[in-house]
Amino acid sequence: MEVSDSIVDHLRQVASLPDLSGTRYELEAEIGRGGMGIVYASRDRELDRRVALKVLDVPLIGEPQLIARLEHPAIVPIYEAGVLPDGRAFYAMKLVGGTRLDDYAKGEYSLAERLRVIRRVGEALAFAHSRDVIHRDLKPQNVMIGEFGEVYVMDWGVEAVAGTAGFRAPEATLGKLSDVYSLGALLKYLVPESSSPALSAIARKATNADGADRYSSVTTFLADIDRFEQGLAVEAWSEPIWHRLQRFASRNAILLWLLAAYTGVKFLLFFLRKP
Amino acid sequence: MDADTAIGGRSGHFPTTHLSLLEASASGISSAAMDQVIALYWKPVYRFIRFKFQKNNEDAKDLTQGFFASAMQRDFFSRFDPQKASFRSYLRMAVERYAANEYAAANRQKRGGEIQFEPVEEDHATAESPEAEFEREWRRQLFFLALDDLRCYCEDSSKQVTFEVFRDYDLCDDDRPSYSDLAVKYGIPETTVTNYLASTRRMLRQFVMERLKGTTADAKELHQEMRRVWK
Amino acid sequence: MNKIVVGLIFGIVLGAVDGATALFYPETRPLIAGIMVGSSFKGMLVGLLSGWFARKVQSTGWGIVVGSVLGLLFAFIVAVMDASQGKQHYLEIMLPGFIVGAIVGFLTQKMGTPAMAKS
Repeated sequence: MEVSDSIVDHLRQVASLPDLSGTRYELEAEIGRGGMGIVYASRDRELDRRVALKVLDVPLIGEPQLIARLEHPAIVPIYEAGVLPDGRAFYAMKLVGGTRLDDYAKGEYSLAERLRVIRRVGEALAFAHSRDVIHRDLKPQNVMIGEFGEVYVMDWGVEAVAGTAGFRAPEATLGKLSDVYSLGALLKYLVPESSSPALSAIARKATNADGADRYSSVTTFLADIDRFEQGLAVEAWSEPIWHRLQRFASRNAILLWLLAAYTGVKFLLFFLRKP
Repeated sequence: MDADTAIGGRSGHFPTTHLSLLEASASGISSAAMDQVIALYWKPVYRFIRFKFQKNNEDAKDLTQGFFASAMQRDFFSRFDPQKASFRSYLRMAVERYAANEYAAANRQKRGGEIQFEPVEEDHATAESPEAEFEREWRRQLFFLALDDLRCYCEDSSKQVTFEVFRDYDLCDDDRPSYSDLAVKYGIPETTVTNYLASTRRMLRQFVMERLKGTTADAKELHQEMRRVWK
Repeated sequence: MNKIVVGLIFGIVLGAVDGATALFYPETRPLIAGIMVGSSFKGMLVGLLSGWFARKVQSTGWGIVVGSVLGLLFAFIVAVMDASQGKQHYLEIMLPGFIVGAIVGFLTQKMGTPAMAKS
């Protein structure tokens, strides 16, 4: 049997397709490859709908049952988890169309829109944390922006494959604070460094190497982001006095202008009056 | 060098005759583990030596044989640390050290340091490094062995037609026949053609994994190598 | 407190302050008491109506517009009353009145609750 390079390449292509016999799914096309597996668009024969099927090379160390019970608008619902006839683990989930966050980040989106994405991701994390589920591998590749602008956070509970540097917290055992770290890293990623010292301070606090120095929870992190957006002082940053005045002025701009107009008019009338 | 560490078993299940390297050296049957390694690595090492050290066919063969013979004598496996590198890289570096030593020794004997260069037969344009050539030959050999395992298995379990359909379609270099051509040729419906292809491809994947298992340290390395192969 | 009360309070206070600026004009100093009472009353009316408007319509822009129009209107009335007594102070009365009205309109939009105070 001659085994040329082209044959090997062909075999590599076709034989990596998962065996779905015995399941209710029909393979359609490959849609992406991640660190731990390949995602295929598939059709659920019984319900006659399209789903995303993630086939993993590594055994499932996450908590699929726990994740499947998380119902939240930003968490992609898992329909089924199991083992394929060829021994590989898989799970079927909602097929999400849209853009991945790393592509989204390159687009022309305002600061407000980017912070909205961060907030949605944070809300999903806060919800999961309240159910004691930790994401462990939050990064741009695991966030999707759907066609209606909705935000999805995917790939829950699987320990980060060594190599997703920059978003993985430095501590050995990952917990809720590690998700805070990743969220901070995500903020740094989405929002340009130059935009605001307050935001940079928030990101820095969240991505502190020492977990104890970060925000105590995703909720407090989001609260600080809220304060930033409302023009209030931010917990993470003690601002210089002139910046505080600037902020005060911008928050109360209209009133200050009106008072200035009044004073100006009064002065003008006073000095222009007929002697 | 008969690569056929045969697949026994007509039971119809996939026999797991191959232990991982750690398992093999732990239970002390490292000669069987060595057979696995030689089966897969002989050709890649040979080509690597030819490319990197510019040896002719005979010298390269001698060096390759010498390498595997010397590796069998020393504690090759016990010195391997899976945390530091994959077994593949470890072996390649060992080859380099071995060949460099032999070359230095041989040169000391030669008068005037006569070096003989013979062009390597080029069956394809190789602007690649010897390392890349090593990888490519390794992958080719892996599939060759797995395909042979698959063929034997199909013969043993009376699945010749299944294999032949697969061979005609997937092992075809150019002018691949269509499903309907194959259906006509073997007198089977097209859906059967699809099924045969799907099942042999599945089995091939299993055989590749089995071959890899015998040359990787543990499950983690096995998974990594599987991912590399199928990317 | 509801928006009408907010308008009332700010209207009176700002009206009083505006009236008090007449102290800078020596010719009006002796009449300061009357001016301040009138100005506060004017401000109260502007505040009441702006507050009522703010309950109906939540829009900072429109609040400012309505406040300034009311301020201008009542200031005009006072200026006309003054003119009938021989004092021509249209500009000095209407312009500040216009701006004070705008301020009151703004404040009634931003502060207070739209709901009716129950007591």
